[in-house]
Amino acid sequence: MKKTAVLLALAAALISACATMSYQSVLPGVNTLGELQVTADAGWNLAPAYATPNATSKSQTWTRDGLLLDRLIIIPAVADGEALFKSRDPAAALPPFRASMLPNEIEEMTESTIVKLFGEGSAVVSTENLRPWGFAEHRGVMFDIAVTVTESPDYRGMVGAFIVGDKLYMILFLAATPYYYDKHIASVEALIKGAAIRVPTVPTA
Amino acid sequence: MNFRAFVYFAAAALAGMSAPAYSEDIHDVDHKIPPGYKPEESRDEKGLWMEIEEYELALNKSALLVRDPEINNYLQSVVCRVAGDYCSDVRVYLVRNPGFNASMTATGMMQVWTGLLVRASSTDELAAVIGHEIAHYTRLHTLERLRKLKSMAARGSIFDLGVAILTGYSTPIGQASAMLNVLAFNREQESEADFLGARLVAEAGYDPHAAYRVWEKIIAEEKAAIDKRPEPGIFSKTHPDAGVRAAELKAWVSDKWGPPDQEETADEALVTVMNNHYLFLMEDMIDTNRFGRTEELLKRHAAMGVNPSLVRYFYGEMFRQRGADGDTELAMAAYRHSIEGGAAPPEAYKNLGYLYLKTDNPASAQESFRDYLARNPDASDRAMIEFYLEEGPQ
Repeated sequence: MKKTAVLLALAAALISACATMSYQSVLPGVNTLGELQVTADAGWNLAPAYATPNATSKSQTWTRDGLLLDRLIIIPAVADGEALFKSRDPAAALPPFRASMLPNEIEEMTESTIVKLFGEGSAVVSTENLRPWGFAEHRGVMFDIAVTVTESPDYRGMVGAFIVGDKLYMILFLAATPYYYDKHIASVEALIKGAAIRVPTVPTA
Repeated sequence: MNFRAFVYFAAAALAGMSAPAYSEDIHDVDHKIPPGYKPEESRDEKGLWMEIEEYELALNKSALLVRDPEINNYLQSVVCRVAGDYCSDVRVYLVRNPGFNASMTATGMMQVWTGLLVRASSTDELAAVIGHEIAHYTRLHTLERLRKLKSMAARGSIFDLGVAILTGYSTPIGQASAMLNVLAFNREQESEADFLGARLVAEAGYDPHAAYRVWEKIIAEEKAAIDKRPEPGIFSKTHPDAGVRAAELKAWVSDKWGPPDQEETADEALVTVMNNHYLFLMEDMIDTNRFGRTEELLKRHAAMGVNPSLVRYFYGEMFRQRGADGDTELAMAAYRHSIEGGAAPPEAYKNLGYLYLKTDNPASAQESFRDYLARNPDASDRAMIEFYLEEGPQ
Protein backbone atom coordinates (compact mmCIF):
# COMPACT_ATOMS: atom_id res chain seq x y z
CA MET A 1 0.00 0.00 0.00
CA LYS A 2 2.82 2.30 1.03
CA LYS A 3 4.67 1.43 -2.17
CA THR A 4 1.59 2.22 -4.27
CA ALA A 5 1.23 5.59 -2.56
CA VAL A 6 4.86 6.44 -3.29
CA LEU A 7 4.46 5.44 -6.94
CA LEU A 8 1.31 7.50 -7.25
CA ALA A 9 3.03 10.51 -5.70
CA LEU A 10 5.95 10.06 -8.07
CA ALA A 11 3.62 9.81 -11.05
CA ALA A 12 1.77 12.94 -9.94
CA ALA A 13 5.07 14.80 -9.58
CA LEU A 14 6.12 13.69 -13.06
CA ILE A 15 2.81 14.74 -14.57
CA SER A 16 3.16 18.11 -12.83
CA ALA A 17 6.72 18.44 -14.16
CA CYS A 18 5.49 17.60 -17.67
CA ALA A 19 2.92 20.35 -17.40
CA THR A 20 5.62 22.94 -16.73
CA MET A 21 7.70 21.53 -19.60
CA SER A 22 5.02 22.09 -22.22
CA TYR A 23 3.03 24.95 -23.66
CA GLN A 24 -0.20 25.78 -21.86
CA SER A 25 -3.30 27.46 -23.20
CA VAL A 26 -4.08 31.02 -22.29
CA LEU A 27 -7.81 31.50 -22.58
CA PRO A 28 -9.47 34.59 -24.00
CA GLY A 29 -10.57 37.08 -21.38
CA VAL A 30 -8.90 38.71 -18.41
CA ASN A 31 -5.52 37.29 -17.37
CA THR A 32 -3.65 38.46 -14.33
CA LEU A 33 0.08 38.39 -13.57
CA GLY A 34 0.65 39.69 -10.10
CA GLU A 35 -1.16 43.01 -10.12
CA LEU A 36 -1.06 43.40 -13.89
CA GLN A 37 -4.24 42.62 -15.80
CA VAL A 38 -4.46 42.12 -19.53
CA THR A 39 -7.41 41.13 -21.63
CA ALA A 40 -6.89 38.74 -24.52
CA ASP A 41 -9.43 38.77 -27.36
CA ALA A 42 -8.47 35.25 -28.37
CA GLY A 43 -6.34 32.41 -27.11
CA TRP A 44 -2.55 32.39 -26.73
CA ASN A 45 0.00 29.77 -25.72
CA LEU A 46 2.05 30.26 -22.59
CA ALA A 47 5.66 29.25 -23.30
CA PRO A 48 7.37 27.00 -20.75
CA ALA A 49 10.38 28.31 -18.83
CA TYR A 50 12.89 26.19 -20.75
CA ALA A 51 11.85 27.90 -23.99
CA THR A 52 12.36 31.38 -22.56
CA PRO A 53 15.60 31.16 -20.55
CA ASN A 54 16.03 34.94 -20.46
CA ALA A 55 12.60 35.61 -18.95
CA THR A 56 12.42 36.45 -15.27
CA SER A 57 10.33 34.22 -13.02
CA LYS A 58 7.58 36.81 -12.66
CA SER A 59 7.13 37.43 -16.38
CA GLN A 60 5.26 35.33 -18.93
CA THR A 61 5.86 34.82 -22.64
CA TRP A 62 2.89 34.10 -24.86
CA THR A 63 2.86 33.13 -28.50
CA ARG A 64 0.34 32.27 -31.19
CA ASP A 65 2.40 30.88 -34.05
CA GLY A 66 5.61 29.93 -32.23
CA LEU A 67 8.29 31.89 -30.39
CA LEU A 68 10.41 32.49 -33.48
CA LEU A 69 7.46 34.08 -35.24
CA ASP A 70 5.72 36.05 -32.53
CA ARG A 71 6.02 36.59 -28.83
CA LEU A 72 4.16 38.71 -26.32
CA ILE A 73 6.17 39.25 -23.15
CA ILE A 74 4.32 40.44 -20.08
CA ILE A 75 6.65 41.79 -17.42
CA PRO A 76 5.03 42.92 -14.19
CA ALA A 77 6.49 44.88 -11.27
CA VAL A 78 10.12 45.43 -12.27
CA ALA A 79 11.72 47.02 -9.21
CA ASP A 80 14.30 49.81 -9.23
CA GLY A 81 17.69 48.32 -10.16
CA GLU A 82 16.24 45.20 -11.82
CA ALA A 83 16.58 44.41 -15.52
CA LEU A 84 13.71 43.41 -17.79
CA PHE A 85 15.30 40.05 -18.48
CA LYS A 86 17.99 37.88 -16.94
CA SER A 87 21.21 36.59 -18.41
CA ARG A 88 23.61 33.85 -17.44
CA ASP A 89 26.48 35.96 -18.75
CA PRO A 90 27.82 38.09 -15.86
CA ALA A 91 29.26 40.51 -18.43
CA ALA A 92 25.96 40.94 -20.32
CA ALA A 93 25.51 44.52 -19.02
CA LEU A 94 21.72 44.44 -19.13
CA PRO A 95 20.45 47.95 -18.44
CA PRO A 96 18.59 48.25 -15.13
CA PHE A 97 15.25 49.97 -14.65
CA ARG A 98 15.32 53.12 -12.52
CA ALA A 99 12.14 54.39 -10.89
CA SER A 100 13.13 57.93 -11.89
CA MET A 101 13.13 57.07 -15.60
CA LEU A 102 11.27 59.36 -17.96
CA PRO A 103 9.64 58.09 -21.19
CA ASN A 104 12.75 58.49 -23.34
CA GLU A 105 14.80 56.47 -20.87
CA ILE A 106 12.26 53.63 -20.72
CA GLU A 107 12.39 53.56 -24.51
CA GLU A 108 16.22 53.51 -24.54
CA MET A 109 16.42 50.84 -21.83
CA THR A 110 14.05 48.64 -23.84
CA GLU A 111 16.05 49.17 -27.03
CA SER A 112 19.31 48.22 -25.33
CA THR A 113 17.67 45.22 -23.64
CA ILE A 114 16.35 43.90 -26.95
CA VAL A 115 19.86 44.21 -28.41
CA LYS A 116 21.08 41.92 -25.62
CA LEU A 117 18.15 39.54 -26.09
CA PHE A 118 19.02 38.96 -29.76
CA GLY A 119 22.76 38.92 -29.03
CA GLU A 120 24.98 41.99 -28.87
CA GLY A 121 26.28 42.67 -32.34
CA SER A 122 23.76 40.30 -33.95
CA ALA A 123 20.93 42.79 -34.22
CA VAL A 124 20.29 46.47 -34.74
CA VAL A 125 17.28 47.70 -32.78
CA SER A 126 15.44 50.96 -33.27
CA THR A 127 12.40 52.48 -31.62
CA GLU A 128 10.00 55.18 -32.76
CA ASN A 129 6.58 56.73 -32.25
CA LEU A 130 6.99 57.24 -28.51
CA ARG A 131 3.59 58.44 -27.38
CA PRO A 132 1.64 58.88 -24.16
CA TRP A 133 -1.02 56.40 -23.16
CA GLY A 134 -3.20 56.10 -20.09
CA PHE A 135 -3.29 52.59 -18.65
CA ALA A 136 -6.54 53.03 -16.72
CA GLU A 137 -5.67 55.76 -14.22
CA HIS A 138 -1.90 55.41 -14.69
CA ARG A 139 0.05 57.55 -17.12
CA GLY A 140 2.32 55.55 -19.36
CA VAL A 141 3.85 55.32 -22.80
CA MET A 142 3.70 53.25 -25.91
CA PHE A 143 6.26 52.97 -28.69
CA ASP A 144 7.09 50.84 -31.72
CA ILE A 145 10.18 48.73 -32.14
CA ALA A 146 12.06 47.33 -35.15
CA VAL A 147 14.79 44.68 -35.06
CA THR A 148 17.15 43.88 -37.93
CA VAL A 149 18.86 40.55 -37.34
CA THR A 150 21.90 38.99 -38.98
CA GLU A 151 20.48 35.70 -40.21
CA SER A 152 16.77 35.76 -39.60
CA PRO A 153 13.66 37.64 -40.68
CA ASP A 154 13.33 41.18 -39.38
CA TYR A 155 11.01 41.80 -36.47
CA ARG A 156 8.63 44.60 -35.61
CA GLY A 157 6.84 45.16 -32.40
CA MET A 158 4.99 47.36 -29.98
CA VAL A 159 5.64 48.17 -26.35
CA GLY A 160 3.43 49.55 -23.60
CA ALA A 161 4.93 50.57 -20.26
CA PHE A 162 3.97 52.43 -17.11
CA ILE A 163 5.33 52.98 -13.64
CA VAL A 164 3.24 52.48 -10.52
CA GLY A 165 4.74 52.78 -7.05
CA ASP A 166 8.32 52.79 -8.33
CA LYS A 167 7.72 49.59 -10.28
CA LEU A 168 7.66 49.20 -14.03
CA TYR A 169 4.95 47.22 -15.83
CA MET A 170 5.69 46.39 -19.44
CA ILE A 171 4.08 44.48 -22.28
CA LEU A 172 6.37 43.86 -25.21
CA PHE A 173 5.34 42.32 -28.52
CA LEU A 174 7.71 41.22 -31.29
CA ALA A 175 6.79 39.40 -34.48
CA ALA A 176 8.45 38.49 -37.76
CA THR A 177 7.64 41.08 -40.35
CA PRO A 178 5.60 41.57 -42.38
CA TYR A 179 3.25 38.59 -42.13
CA TYR A 180 3.14 37.72 -38.43
CA TYR A 181 3.36 41.31 -37.28
CA ASP A 182 0.46 42.29 -39.52
CA LYS A 183 -1.51 39.21 -38.49
CA HIS A 184 -1.44 39.95 -34.77
CA ILE A 185 -0.81 43.65 -34.29
CA ALA A 186 -4.46 44.78 -34.04
CA SER A 187 -5.21 42.19 -31.37
CA VAL A 188 -1.99 42.96 -29.52
CA GLU A 189 -2.48 46.72 -29.63
CA ALA A 190 -5.89 46.31 -28.01
CA LEU A 191 -4.37 44.05 -25.34
CA ILE A 192 -1.58 46.53 -24.58
CA LYS A 193 -3.91 49.53 -24.49
CA GLY A 194 -6.23 47.71 -22.12
CA ALA A 195 -3.53 46.73 -19.62
CA ALA A 196 -4.18 47.95 -16.10
CA ILE A 197 -3.31 47.41 -12.49
CA ARG A 198 -5.87 45.19 -10.82
CA VAL A 199 -8.07 47.11 -8.48
CA PRO A 200 -8.20 45.32 -5.13
CA THR A 201 -11.69 44.14 -4.37
CA VAL A 202 -13.12 44.99 -1.00
CA PRO A 203 -15.05 42.11 0.54
CA THR A 204 -18.64 43.01 1.19
CA ALA A 205 -20.41 41.99 4.31
CA MET B 1 53.06 -3.89 -24.99
CA ASN B 2 54.27 -3.51 -21.41
CA PHE B 3 53.69 -0.44 -19.29
CA ARG B 4 57.06 1.14 -20.10
CA ALA B 5 56.50 0.69 -23.82
CA PHE B 6 53.06 2.23 -23.45
CA VAL B 7 54.55 5.25 -21.65
CA TYR B 8 57.09 5.71 -24.48
CA PHE B 9 54.33 5.37 -27.05
CA ALA B 10 52.12 7.88 -25.26
CA ALA B 11 54.94 10.35 -24.75
CA ALA B 12 56.05 10.13 -28.38
CA ALA B 13 52.51 10.49 -29.68
CA LEU B 14 51.69 13.43 -27.45
CA ALA B 15 55.00 15.11 -28.25
CA GLY B 16 54.30 14.70 -31.95
CA MET B 17 50.85 16.18 -31.53
CA SER B 18 51.85 19.19 -29.54
CA ALA B 19 55.28 20.06 -30.87
CA PRO B 20 55.47 23.59 -32.24
CA ALA B 21 55.62 23.63 -36.01
CA TYR B 22 57.78 26.68 -36.64
CA SER B 23 59.44 25.95 -39.95
CA GLU B 24 60.64 29.48 -40.69
CA ASP B 25 61.30 32.70 -38.84
CA ILE B 26 57.86 33.99 -37.96
CA HIS B 27 59.00 37.58 -38.52
CA ASP B 28 59.98 36.98 -42.15
CA VAL B 29 57.11 34.89 -43.46
CA ASP B 30 55.96 35.76 -46.95
CA HIS B 31 52.86 35.25 -49.08
CA LYS B 32 52.11 31.64 -49.99
CA ILE B 33 49.86 32.40 -52.94
CA PRO B 34 50.23 34.71 -55.92
CA PRO B 35 47.76 37.49 -56.76
CA GLY B 36 44.73 36.14 -58.60
CA TYR B 37 44.99 32.79 -56.79
CA LYS B 38 42.32 30.19 -57.46
CA PRO B 39 41.84 27.03 -55.38
CA GLU B 40 43.74 23.91 -56.23
CA GLU B 41 41.96 20.81 -57.42
CA SER B 42 42.10 19.31 -53.93
CA ARG B 43 38.63 18.41 -52.66
CA ASP B 44 38.97 20.10 -49.29
CA GLU B 45 40.05 23.47 -50.71
CA LYS B 46 37.43 23.45 -53.47
CA GLY B 47 34.78 22.49 -50.93
CA LEU B 48 35.88 25.21 -48.56
CA TRP B 49 35.66 27.81 -51.32
CA MET B 50 32.18 26.65 -52.33
CA GLU B 51 30.89 26.91 -48.76
CA ILE B 52 32.35 30.36 -48.28
CA GLU B 53 30.99 31.55 -51.62
CA GLU B 54 27.51 30.48 -50.52
CA TYR B 55 27.99 32.38 -47.27
CA GLU B 56 29.14 35.43 -49.19
CA LEU B 57 25.97 35.37 -51.30
CA ALA B 58 23.92 35.41 -48.08
CA LEU B 59 26.09 38.16 -46.59
CA ASN B 60 25.47 40.29 -49.67
CA LYS B 61 21.78 40.32 -48.80
CA SER B 62 22.26 41.08 -45.10
CA ALA B 63 20.35 44.07 -43.80
CA LEU B 64 23.25 44.70 -41.41
CA LEU B 65 25.66 45.56 -44.23
CA VAL B 66 26.57 49.24 -44.37
CA ARG B 67 26.00 50.23 -47.99
CA ASP B 68 26.83 53.93 -47.82
CA PRO B 69 29.23 54.63 -50.74
CA GLU B 70 31.42 57.17 -48.90
CA ILE B 71 32.28 54.93 -45.96
CA ASN B 72 32.75 51.89 -48.24
CA ASN B 73 34.98 53.77 -50.69
CA TYR B 74 37.16 54.90 -47.79
CA LEU B 75 37.47 51.33 -46.51
CA GLN B 76 38.09 49.89 -49.98
CA SER B 77 40.85 52.46 -50.60
CA VAL B 78 42.66 51.38 -47.42
CA VAL B 79 42.26 47.70 -48.32
CA CYS B 80 43.63 48.22 -51.82
CA ARG B 81 46.59 50.27 -50.64
CA VAL B 82 47.59 47.60 -48.11
CA ALA B 83 46.78 44.63 -50.36
CA GLY B 84 48.76 46.01 -53.31
CA ASP B 85 48.73 43.40 -56.09
CA TYR B 86 46.14 41.37 -54.15
CA CYS B 87 43.63 44.24 -54.22
CA SER B 88 41.29 42.65 -56.76
CA ASP B 89 41.29 39.38 -54.76
CA VAL B 90 39.81 40.99 -51.67
CA ARG B 91 36.15 41.95 -51.25
CA VAL B 92 35.47 43.97 -48.11
CA TYR B 93 32.09 44.12 -46.35
CA LEU B 94 31.36 46.61 -43.59
CA VAL B 95 29.00 45.01 -41.07
CA ARG B 96 27.00 46.95 -38.50
CA ASN B 97 28.31 45.54 -35.25
CA PRO B 98 29.75 47.67 -32.44
CA GLY B 99 32.28 45.02 -31.39
CA PHE B 100 35.97 45.09 -32.30
CA ASN B 101 36.60 42.65 -35.09
CA ALA B 102 37.57 42.00 -38.68
CA SER B 103 37.80 38.63 -40.35
CA MET B 104 39.06 37.07 -43.56
CA THR B 105 38.14 33.90 -45.39
CA ALA B 106 40.14 31.66 -47.71
CA THR B 107 38.36 33.20 -50.70
CA GLY B 108 39.31 36.81 -49.96
CA MET B 109 36.00 37.84 -48.38
CA MET B 110 36.83 40.29 -45.63
CA GLN B 111 34.37 41.50 -43.01
CA VAL B 112 35.05 44.64 -41.03
CA TRP B 113 32.77 45.52 -38.13
CA THR B 114 31.76 49.12 -37.57
CA GLY B 115 33.16 48.70 -34.05
CA LEU B 116 36.61 48.67 -35.62
CA LEU B 117 36.00 52.06 -37.20
CA VAL B 118 34.96 53.63 -33.90
CA ARG B 119 38.09 52.22 -32.25
CA ALA B 120 40.66 53.32 -34.86
CA SER B 121 42.37 56.58 -33.97
CA SER B 122 43.91 56.83 -37.41
CA THR B 123 43.80 55.23 -40.84
CA ASP B 124 47.18 53.70 -39.94
CA GLU B 125 45.50 51.70 -37.17
CA LEU B 126 42.68 50.62 -39.46
CA ALA B 127 45.30 49.65 -42.06
CA ALA B 128 47.14 47.60 -39.42
CA VAL B 129 44.09 45.41 -38.77
CA ILE B 130 43.39 45.12 -42.49
CA GLY B 131 47.03 44.15 -43.11
CA HIS B 132 46.68 41.40 -40.51
CA GLU B 133 43.58 40.05 -42.28
CA ILE B 134 45.20 40.18 -45.72
CA ALA B 135 48.13 38.23 -44.30
CA HIS B 136 45.69 35.50 -43.18
CA TYR B 137 44.49 35.33 -46.78
CA THR B 138 47.85 35.23 -48.54
CA ARG B 139 49.23 32.70 -46.04
CA LEU B 140 46.27 30.32 -46.67
CA HIS B 141 45.54 30.27 -42.95
CA THR B 142 41.91 29.15 -43.16
CA LEU B 143 42.73 26.17 -45.35
CA GLU B 144 45.71 25.18 -43.23
CA ARG B 145 43.65 25.48 -40.06
CA LEU B 146 41.03 23.18 -41.53
CA ARG B 147 43.66 20.64 -42.57
CA LYS B 148 45.37 20.82 -39.18
CA LEU B 149 42.08 20.29 -37.39
CA LYS B 150 41.25 17.23 -39.46
CA SER B 151 44.68 15.66 -39.09
CA MET B 152 44.96 16.32 -35.35
CA ALA B 153 41.44 15.06 -34.69
CA ALA B 154 42.30 11.81 -36.50
CA ARG B 155 45.57 11.40 -34.60
CA GLY B 156 43.86 12.16 -31.31
CA SER B 157 41.21 9.52 -31.98
CA ILE B 158 43.83 6.90 -32.90
CA PHE B 159 45.76 7.72 -29.74
CA ASP B 160 42.65 7.42 -27.56
CA LEU B 161 41.79 4.13 -29.25
CA GLY B 162 45.30 2.83 -28.61
CA VAL B 163 45.07 3.77 -24.95
CA ALA B 164 41.67 2.09 -24.67
CA ILE B 165 42.99 -1.13 -26.25
CA LEU B 166 46.11 -1.20 -24.09
CA THR B 167 44.62 -0.20 -20.77
CA GLY B 168 40.94 -0.92 -21.05
CA TYR B 169 40.19 2.69 -20.13
CA SER B 170 38.62 5.21 -22.47
CA THR B 171 40.24 8.63 -22.06
CA PRO B 172 39.97 11.90 -23.98
CA ILE B 173 43.73 12.58 -23.66
CA GLY B 174 44.38 12.34 -27.39
CA GLN B 175 41.44 14.56 -28.35
CA ALA B 176 42.33 17.12 -25.67
CA SER B 177 45.93 17.17 -26.78
CA ALA B 178 44.80 17.56 -30.40
CA MET B 179 42.62 20.51 -29.42
CA LEU B 180 45.49 22.18 -27.56
CA ASN B 181 47.71 21.61 -30.58
CA VAL B 182 45.16 23.19 -32.95
CA LEU B 183 44.79 26.18 -30.64
CA ALA B 184 48.58 26.60 -30.51
CA PHE B 185 48.59 26.42 -34.31
CA ASN B 186 45.88 29.12 -34.45
CA ARG B 187 47.90 31.37 -32.16
CA GLU B 188 50.98 30.84 -34.30
CA GLN B 189 48.98 31.84 -37.37
CA GLU B 190 47.79 34.97 -35.58
CA SER B 191 51.40 35.89 -34.81
CA GLU B 192 52.37 35.28 -38.43
CA ALA B 193 49.54 37.54 -39.57
CA ASP B 194 50.63 40.19 -37.04
CA PHE B 195 54.17 40.39 -38.42
CA LEU B 196 53.36 40.00 -42.12
CA GLY B 197 50.48 42.46 -41.68
CA ALA B 198 52.83 45.05 -40.14
CA ARG B 199 55.21 44.61 -43.10
CA LEU B 200 52.36 45.10 -45.60
CA VAL B 201 51.29 48.24 -43.75
CA ALA B 202 54.82 49.67 -43.80
CA GLU B 203 55.29 48.80 -47.48
CA ALA B 204 52.02 50.61 -48.25
CA GLY B 205 53.36 53.75 -46.62
CA TYR B 206 51.31 53.54 -43.43
CA ASP B 207 52.90 53.80 -40.01
CA PRO B 208 53.88 50.26 -38.85
CA HIS B 209 53.84 51.46 -35.23
CA ALA B 210 50.05 51.45 -35.56
CA ALA B 211 50.25 47.61 -35.49
CA TYR B 212 50.90 47.55 -31.74
CA ARG B 213 49.01 50.73 -30.90
CA VAL B 214 45.79 48.95 -31.89
CA TRP B 215 46.43 46.36 -29.19
CA GLU B 216 47.49 48.93 -26.61
CA LYS B 217 44.16 50.65 -27.16
CA ILE B 218 42.21 47.42 -26.82
CA ILE B 219 43.95 46.90 -23.47
CA ALA B 220 43.09 50.49 -22.42
CA GLU B 221 39.45 49.91 -23.37
CA GLU B 222 39.32 46.68 -21.38
CA LYS B 223 40.71 48.51 -18.35
CA ALA B 224 38.01 51.16 -18.71
CA ALA B 225 35.24 48.57 -19.03
CA ILE B 226 32.84 48.08 -16.14
CA ASP B 227 31.84 44.59 -17.25
CA LYS B 228 35.08 42.89 -18.27
CA ARG B 229 35.06 40.29 -20.97
CA PRO B 230 35.86 36.90 -19.44
CA GLU B 231 39.34 35.62 -20.25
CA PRO B 232 39.17 32.64 -22.61
CA GLY B 233 40.05 29.34 -21.00
CA ILE B 234 42.92 27.12 -22.07
CA PHE B 235 40.61 25.21 -24.44
CA SER B 236 39.29 28.31 -26.20
CA LYS B 237 42.30 30.58 -26.54
CA THR B 238 42.56 31.03 -30.29
CA HIS B 239 44.54 34.29 -30.17
CA PRO B 240 47.66 35.33 -28.26
CA ASP B 241 47.16 37.75 -25.36
CA ALA B 242 46.72 41.36 -26.46
CA GLY B 243 49.54 42.42 -24.14
CA VAL B 244 51.94 39.85 -25.59
CA ARG B 245 51.01 40.85 -29.14
CA ALA B 246 51.52 44.53 -28.39
CA ALA B 247 54.90 43.95 -26.71
CA GLU B 248 56.25 41.62 -29.42
CA LEU B 249 55.10 43.88 -32.24
CA LYS B 250 56.44 47.01 -30.54
CA ALA B 251 59.90 45.48 -30.07
CA TRP B 252 60.03 44.14 -33.62
CA VAL B 253 58.59 47.21 -35.36
CA SER B 254 60.90 49.54 -33.41
CA ASP B 255 63.88 47.36 -34.25
CA LYS B 256 63.02 47.17 -37.96
CA TRP B 257 61.74 50.69 -38.66
CA GLY B 258 63.14 52.68 -35.73
CA PRO B 259 61.14 54.50 -33.09
CA PRO B 260 57.98 56.36 -34.07
CA ASP B 261 59.09 59.61 -35.64
CA GLN B 262 56.04 61.64 -34.77
CA GLU B 263 53.13 61.73 -32.41
CA GLU B 264 49.95 60.08 -33.53
CA THR B 265 48.03 62.36 -35.83
CA ALA B 266 44.50 61.83 -36.99
CA ASP B 267 44.02 62.00 -40.71
CA GLU B 268 41.43 64.00 -42.54
CA ALA B 269 39.96 61.00 -44.34
CA LEU B 270 39.05 59.05 -41.20
CA VAL B 271 37.80 62.12 -39.32
CA THR B 272 35.59 63.07 -42.28
CA VAL B 273 34.08 59.58 -42.40
CA MET B 274 33.55 59.63 -38.65
CA ASN B 275 31.90 63.05 -38.72
CA ASN B 276 29.55 62.05 -41.53
CA HIS B 277 28.49 58.74 -39.96
CA TYR B 278 29.10 59.33 -36.27
CA LEU B 279 25.47 59.19 -35.20
CA PHE B 280 24.70 55.63 -36.28
CA LEU B 281 28.17 54.37 -35.37
CA MET B 282 27.91 55.62 -31.80
CA GLU B 283 24.19 54.92 -31.36
CA ASP B 284 25.03 51.24 -31.86
CA MET B 285 27.76 51.58 -29.22
CA ILE B 286 25.36 53.28 -26.79
CA ASP B 287 22.88 50.43 -27.30
CA THR B 288 25.44 48.02 -25.83
CA ASN B 289 25.03 49.79 -22.45
CA ARG B 290 28.80 49.50 -21.98
CA PHE B 291 29.38 53.04 -20.79
CA GLY B 292 32.92 52.44 -19.48
CA ARG B 293 34.03 51.42 -22.95
CA THR B 294 31.95 54.16 -24.58
CA GLU B 295 33.64 56.80 -22.43
CA GLU B 296 37.07 55.48 -23.42
CA LEU B 297 36.13 55.73 -27.12
CA LEU B 298 34.71 59.23 -26.68
CA LYS B 299 38.00 60.40 -25.12
CA ARG B 300 39.79 58.97 -28.15
CA HIS B 301 37.41 60.65 -30.61
CA ALA B 302 37.80 64.02 -28.89
CA ALA B 303 41.59 63.69 -29.12
CA MET B 304 41.60 62.72 -32.79
CA GLY B 305 39.49 65.68 -33.84
CA VAL B 306 36.00 64.29 -34.42
CA ASN B 307 33.55 67.20 -34.35
CA PRO B 308 33.38 68.16 -30.64
CA SER B 309 29.71 68.96 -30.93
CA LEU B 310 28.98 65.36 -31.92
CA VAL B 311 31.33 63.87 -29.34
CA ARG B 312 29.75 65.95 -26.59
CA TYR B 313 26.28 64.80 -27.57
CA PHE B 314 27.37 61.20 -26.98
CA TYR B 315 29.06 62.18 -23.72
CA GLY B 316 25.58 63.34 -22.71
CA GLU B 317 24.10 60.00 -23.78
CA MET B 318 26.81 58.08 -21.93
CA PHE B 319 26.44 60.07 -18.68
CA ARG B 320 22.68 59.66 -18.79
CA GLN B 321 22.99 55.92 -19.38
CA ARG B 322 25.55 55.54 -16.58
CA GLY B 323 23.28 57.34 -14.15
CA ALA B 324 25.82 57.69 -11.31
CA ASP B 325 25.68 60.52 -8.78
CA GLY B 326 26.27 63.81 -10.56
CA ASP B 327 25.79 62.31 -14.03
CA THR B 328 22.57 64.24 -14.65
CA GLU B 329 24.47 67.51 -14.31
CA LEU B 330 27.34 66.21 -16.43
CA ALA B 331 24.90 65.10 -19.12
CA MET B 332 23.15 68.47 -19.13
CA ALA B 333 26.50 70.27 -19.51
CA ALA B 334 27.49 67.92 -22.32
CA TYR B 335 24.23 68.54 -24.23
CA ARG B 336 24.60 72.31 -23.77
CA HIS B 337 28.18 72.18 -25.08
CA SER B 338 27.05 70.01 -27.98
CA ILE B 339 24.38 72.56 -28.86
CA GLU B 340 26.86 75.44 -28.57
CA GLY B 341 29.13 73.55 -30.97
CA GLY B 342 26.54 73.93 -33.71
CA ALA B 343 26.38 70.33 -34.94
CA ALA B 344 24.18 68.80 -32.25
CA PRO B 345 21.50 66.42 -33.48
CA PRO B 346 17.93 67.45 -32.60
CA GLU B 347 17.92 64.75 -29.91
CA ALA B 348 20.39 66.82 -27.88
CA TYR B 349 17.62 69.41 -27.37
CA LYS B 350 15.08 66.73 -26.54
CA ASN B 351 17.23 64.88 -24.03
CA LEU B 352 18.27 68.14 -22.42
CA GLY B 353 14.58 68.94 -22.13
CA TYR B 354 13.90 65.67 -20.34
CA LEU B 355 16.76 66.36 -17.93
CA TYR B 356 15.31 69.80 -17.20
CA LEU B 357 12.08 68.01 -16.31
CA LYS B 358 14.02 65.70 -13.98
CA THR B 359 15.69 68.63 -12.27
CA ASP B 360 12.42 70.52 -11.74
CA ASN B 361 13.00 73.14 -14.38
CA PRO B 362 9.86 72.79 -16.53
CA ALA B 363 10.22 76.22 -18.16
CA SER B 364 13.63 75.32 -19.61
CA ALA B 365 12.27 71.88 -20.52
CA GLN B 366 9.53 73.53 -22.57
CA GLU B 367 12.07 75.69 -24.37
CA SER B 368 14.26 72.69 -25.18
CA PHE B 369 11.28 70.65 -26.36
CA ARG B 370 10.17 73.48 -28.64
CA ASP B 371 13.73 73.72 -30.03
CA TYR B 372 13.64 69.97 -30.66
CA LEU B 373 10.40 70.08 -32.60
CA ALA B 374 11.57 73.14 -34.56
CA ARG B 375 14.64 71.19 -35.67
CA ASN B 376 12.80 67.93 -36.21
CA PRO B 377 9.24 68.79 -37.26
CA ASP B 378 8.60 65.22 -38.42
CA ALA B 379 9.76 63.73 -35.11
CA SER B 380 8.09 60.36 -34.57
CA ASP B 381 7.75 61.15 -30.86
CA ARG B 382 5.98 64.47 -31.49
CA ALA B 383 2.92 63.27 -29.56
CA MET B 384 5.04 62.64 -26.46
CA ILE B 385 6.75 66.01 -26.67
CA GLU B 386 3.49 67.84 -27.30
CA PHE B 387 2.05 66.10 -24.26
CA TYR B 388 4.73 67.75 -22.12
CA LEU B 389 4.33 71.07 -23.91
CA GLU B 390 0.59 71.03 -23.24
CA GLU B 391 1.23 70.39 -19.56
CA GLY B 392 2.89 73.80 -19.49
CA PRO B 393 5.62 75.08 -17.16
CA GLN B 394 3.82 74.15 -13.93
